Amino acid sequence: MTAAGLVNSMVLSLLDKAPPMGVIPDTVPVAEAAVRPELWWAGLILYLPLLSLVLCGLCAAFKVKTKLPAWLTTASLLASFVVSVMLYLNHEPPGYLVPLLSWIDLSWAGGDFVANFTLYIDSLSLLWVMFVTGLGTLITFYASEYMEADLGKGYTRFFAGVSVFLFAMVALVLADNLVMLYLGWEGVGFASYWLIGYYYQRPAAVAAAKKAFIMNRIGDLGLALAIYLIWSTFGTIQYDELMVVLREGSWAESYEGWTIDVIPWFLMLAAFGKSAQIPLYVWLPDAMEGPTPVSALIHAATMVTAGIYLVARTYEFFLLSPESLHVVAWVGGLTALLAATIGMAQYDIKRIMAYSTVSQLGFMFLGLGVLSTYGAVYHVFTHAFFKAALFLTCGAIMHGFAGQLDLRKLSGLIRIPGWRITSIAMLIGCLALAGFPLTSGYFSKDAILAEAFVTQGPGFEALGWMAIFTAFLTAYYTFRVWFRVCAGKVEYEPGDEHHGDDDHGHSDGHFHPHAPRFAMNFVMAVIAIGAMVATVPYFLDTKADEALAGGWVADMVHDSTARGGLPGLDGHGQPISESGAHDHHDHDDHAHPTILGMDPHFAMYIISGVVGGLGLLLAAWLHLFRRQDADRLRAALMGRWWIAWLPRAMERKWYVDEIYIGLVRAPLWVASHLMYAFDRFLIDGVLVDGVARIPRLVARWFQPLHNGIIQSYAVTMAGGLALIALLMILFLQFWNIGGGG
Amino acid sequence: MIWGWIMLLLPIIGALGVVVSSGRAARSLALWTSLATFGASIVAAVNFGVWGTGEFGLVSSIPWMSEVGISISIGADSVSMMLVLLTTFLMPLAVLGSWTAVNERLKEYYGWLLLIETAMIGVFLARDLVFFYVCFEFTLVPMYFLIAIYGGSGRARACVKFFLYTFTGSLIALVGFLYVAWSNMESTGQWSFDIATLTTFAAGMPLADQLWILTALVIGFAVKIPLFPVHTWLPLAHTEAPTAGSVILAGVLLKLGTYGLYRFALPMTPEAVVEWAPILGILSIVGILYAGLICWVQTDVKKLVAYSSVSHLGFCVLGIFALNPMGLQGSVLYMINHGLSTGALFFLVGMMYERYHTRDMDSIGGLAKRMPIWAFFMVFFVLASVGLPGLNGFVSEFLCLLGTFAAGESGSYPGVLGPWFAAFAALGMIVAAMYLLIMVGKIVFGSLKEPAGTDRHGLSVDLNAREITVLVPLAVLCILLGVQPWIAMDAMDGSVVEILSVYQPSEVAQQMVDAGSAWVAGSPSP
Repeated sequence: MTAAGLVNSMVLSLLDKAPPMGVIPDTVPVAEAAVRPELWWAGLILYLPLLSLVLCGLCAAFKVKTKLPAWLTTASLLASFVVSVMLYLNHEPPGYLVPLLSWIDLSWAGGDFVANFTLYIDSLSLLWVMFVTGLGTLITFYASEYMEADLGKGYTRFFAGVSVFLFAMVALVLADNLVMLYLGWEGVGFASYWLIGYYYQRPAAVAAAKKAFIMNRIGDLGLALAIYLIWSTFGTIQYDELMVVLREGSWAESYEGWTIDVIPWFLMLAAFGKSAQIPLYVWLPDAMEGPTPVSALIHAATMVTAGIYLVARTYEFFLLSPESLHVVAWVGGLTALLAATIGMAQYDIKRIMAYSTVSQLGFMFLGLGVLSTYGAVYHVFTHAFFKAALFLTCGAIMHGFAGQLDLRKLSGLIRIPGWRITSIAMLIGCLALAGFPLTSGYFSKDAILAEAFVTQGPGFEALGWMAIFTAFLTAYYTFRVWFRVCAGKVEYEPGDEHHGDDDHGHSDGHFHPHAPRFAMNFVMAVIAIGAMVATVPYFLDTKADEALAGGWVADMVHDSTARGGLPGLDGHGQPISESGAHDHHDHDDHAHPTILGMDPHFAMYIISGVVGGLGLLLAAWLHLFRRQDADRLRAALMGRWWIAWLPRAMERKWYVDEIYIGLVRAPLWVASHLMYAFDRFLIDGVLVDGVARIPRLVARWFQPLHNGIIQSYAVTMAGGLALIALLMILFLQFWNIGGGG
Repeated sequence: MIWGWIMLLLPIIGALGVVVSSGRAARSLALWTSLATFGASIVAAVNFGVWGTGEFGLVSSIPWMSEVGISISIGADSVSMMLVLLTTFLMPLAVLGSWTAVNERLKEYYGWLLLIETAMIGVFLARDLVFFYVCFEFTLVPMYFLIAIYGGSGRARACVKFFLYTFTGSLIALVGFLYVAWSNMESTGQWSFDIATLTTFAAGMPLADQLWILTALVIGFAVKIPLFPVHTWLPLAHTEAPTAGSVILAGVLLKLGTYGLYRFALPMTPEAVVEWAPILGILSIVGILYAGLICWVQTDVKKLVAYSSVSHLGFCVLGIFALNPMGLQGSVLYMINHGLSTGALFFLVGMMYERYHTRDMDSIGGLAKRMPIWAFFMVFFVLASVGLPGLNGFVSEFLCLLGTFAAGESGSYPGVLGPWFAAFAALGMIVAAMYLLIMVGKIVFGSLKEPAGTDRHGLSVDLNAREITVLVPLAVLCILLGVQPWIAMDAMDGSVVEILSVYQPSEVAQQMVDAGSAWVAGSPSP
């Protein structure tokens, strides 16, 4: 079969795939999106963070030493959130375009390249933009208190960075074309660089910021190449035009080439960079050098999910090349496991949360890979809340205990006055992260795990069991934190950070933790409630079709470009019909997938509930009731050489950083030095200076002219020029006659 | 049109004024002259009348040696006009940036500065080959003196190498030009040095001849750009030049090389360019990565920025040889953007040097603590240089790479580069982020480190109003060209298509078919 034929058949199978038994009506028509300039005010979602950036700039210029920048930013972001919600309330699928400004708009005979600042508003972008601006507002409000020690110093710079981030993130999500997405993509990377490096006098922060930017650049390279590939294959990079072309499938008739098979791989590289997956995940744990609100907002809730967004947005390309989805699933699953094992062995609670983020992002990619875009998106949504809650509580602890993050040096927080909200919010976050039954994380994780058993793919069943094992580890390490830090008897040691002002320091020999006040408590409470309420969408009726499982989020995914992976095609006792087979290779495999003889979704409710409970119990045993046992167990493990390497390797993060330095950075560094030596000694020294010596020898004949005075060069030059020109003309004339004759 | 002549003559008159003026008045006079020239160029641009078309404006001619067909004729297409604007825009800033850095032999200094402005404008405006060449060569003389008199400790070697290297290169280009002119004379019976005439004539010459001509032109211009491996004069010259010299060198002089390729190599020798584009593409890519990696191990900030120019201009050359409108527009935009952002970086390095008298990254660090405004601009222009979307560098880099990527399949254009070229060149994006951010991490961030016995020579700790005035216009343009690049791209659209018109199959292919040669197969014509 020719490549074109293969592609064509894939496209046809895709088209067939959509509505088995007319379950899902085709609400996304094959037509370009309508342009609705009357919704210009949607642009405010972008302009408001920009406005807040400008206002912060003015605050910096006028050396404002109050909390004004924080209020300005919070107000702008709140307004931005309100506009997003208004947009959602006005929304009717399918998506439409809102043009704002021209940007790059080239056209010539036979083609064009258009990348304008135009918003593409569909349910997927609305979903994202609402939780991004909503959480952005809350976390900014939280930061107004958290960052107060830096008032008059970096305070304004911090909120300016948050504004830049929000602008870029919203641009990324609302873009109608891949180049504007790229703008947001690099923009959030830059904002992340800015905010990770916030404490710029700390070498570790500077190094982490640099590492994040460069690692992200590797991903950006993938995105850039994907854009080139997409444009040169389809002649457009605007989503709506691309979707029309892809859905119609007519391009495949005349298509002969290789590009369609590699596009998803480059998109994948981009997504793995931004969303911290193997092999590009190492920047995210280091990014915890930034202030904690930044970790909560950028490195947990929003920015790192941009990779998921990208894949969901360009899902049609992945469907054209199923192998790429298999890789996405496996990379996601392996990252989830690897990061969970590292997270288990860390002592810094913020780092544990960072590895947990990497691990949860792995789950999301697993979901994308096993054709559950719905599960992935839902998990993004729930994760945003519960992980933000966890980070914000970690931040409150860090803030109150002078930077202390070591879970061995904190205990019984729930019993200290003023720390109840923090502890309970953290508990709610932990329950959801651990996938405790009936929490939001439970449902969203199930939507992914079950699908791993439904979808046919290379080793997907093993992958599913691996993911279940990872879920067990997740429950364990999550509650290891909570039981150590919040439960048990009251014991603590302060960290070594005094936030500049030492009013609560060691002056009297005692350390008094200062509990979070209104802003922080309020935000932690709201987000914790949000983490609980995030369960509700699962039970909401869908507008689109009753047969569509998954509630509101599924509804949102259904109306977007990510609808290639939706529930409803299975479950509810309906076998997947032949054209609905998730894997395009296995058209003849109609077996109803089961787990242990049960319906996958139903089985998964039980399995993951049990697994989560077991992990929780193990953590309770080792880290609440019998902490000495845990220490003894660790000592026993470390004492036996044949097993000691395992905990040690987990603690040292499997030496991945060291491997990268040894395999990539060091050789490149040596090579660069060699090149520099080559440049100076060979190219410049031997070649250039060598050649330059020849005329110098010749010049000896004209010694009298070389009187050493600089000005005479000009005269010599003019004379020399004339002479050489004359010679050349004569020479050329001669040569031409000789050559031509 | 009169404004062309005014732009050319104003700096010369100013230079004369500077020479007869006394001491400190020289720099004010230079500033006002350069501002007036900038004003004149704005007026010329407003009345240009041919923006967006492929035609020439400001066309005017004065007979010189009519018996051999030489005249002083000027004229500008949109691309030339933009580069003229870049030149006149950078000049007042260069004067203002030298305000306190140069304290001796002021008259000479500002005199040379103004003369080089005329020469650069002349290069961009010239419509006569001899006039072009005279201006092209004359840029060397003021720069030579700027380095030789006002340069750093290694200036003697640097200026001689700069002069001889680029001079030799342009002589070789001259040979190519003269060969074209002579062949034209052979064929028509009379001498002409009119660029349009010669271009049309050269484009019709057989491939073997075109290959020779292109070789000569590329050698001449490659040295100027500079393209790997003829780049070694640049780090030396940049490091030793005074700040304004570096700014002009990076901002405009390097662009004379790429402009030469645009104006002469592309339209004169289309068949040969198609033959040679892969080799030049490979050299560009090697330059991008090689110079980028060398940047990584530099300890001298100024040398780092200098090598980064070599790396950056690789993208520019790549865009030119993509041979399609995207690549070429990206490339022209790159010339302007690189002038702005790298020019600004040299200013910033100069401001740091004026305060600390060192450019050694190991003996300086954490300056954000001491000079927050300087640090802000440093990070800003580094980001522009890295190609952060929203700032100017991104659009041009993106288009150069896109053009290169799509070169093989961009419809009617015979692009010979392709995805592999773009893929390797794009690695430069990562390398650029590496060396520039490491530089920023060392000197801007980290714990404060200042050389012992710092003497600021009366300068304020952070930037003063004058220095901010130098940087703000650059920053504004960086944002403007980053957010609304279509202004520039629409303006140059027609010129770029015009330059590439010889590559359209309707003309080239027909000629090829007529000539019985098959350029597709890459075989030279008989």
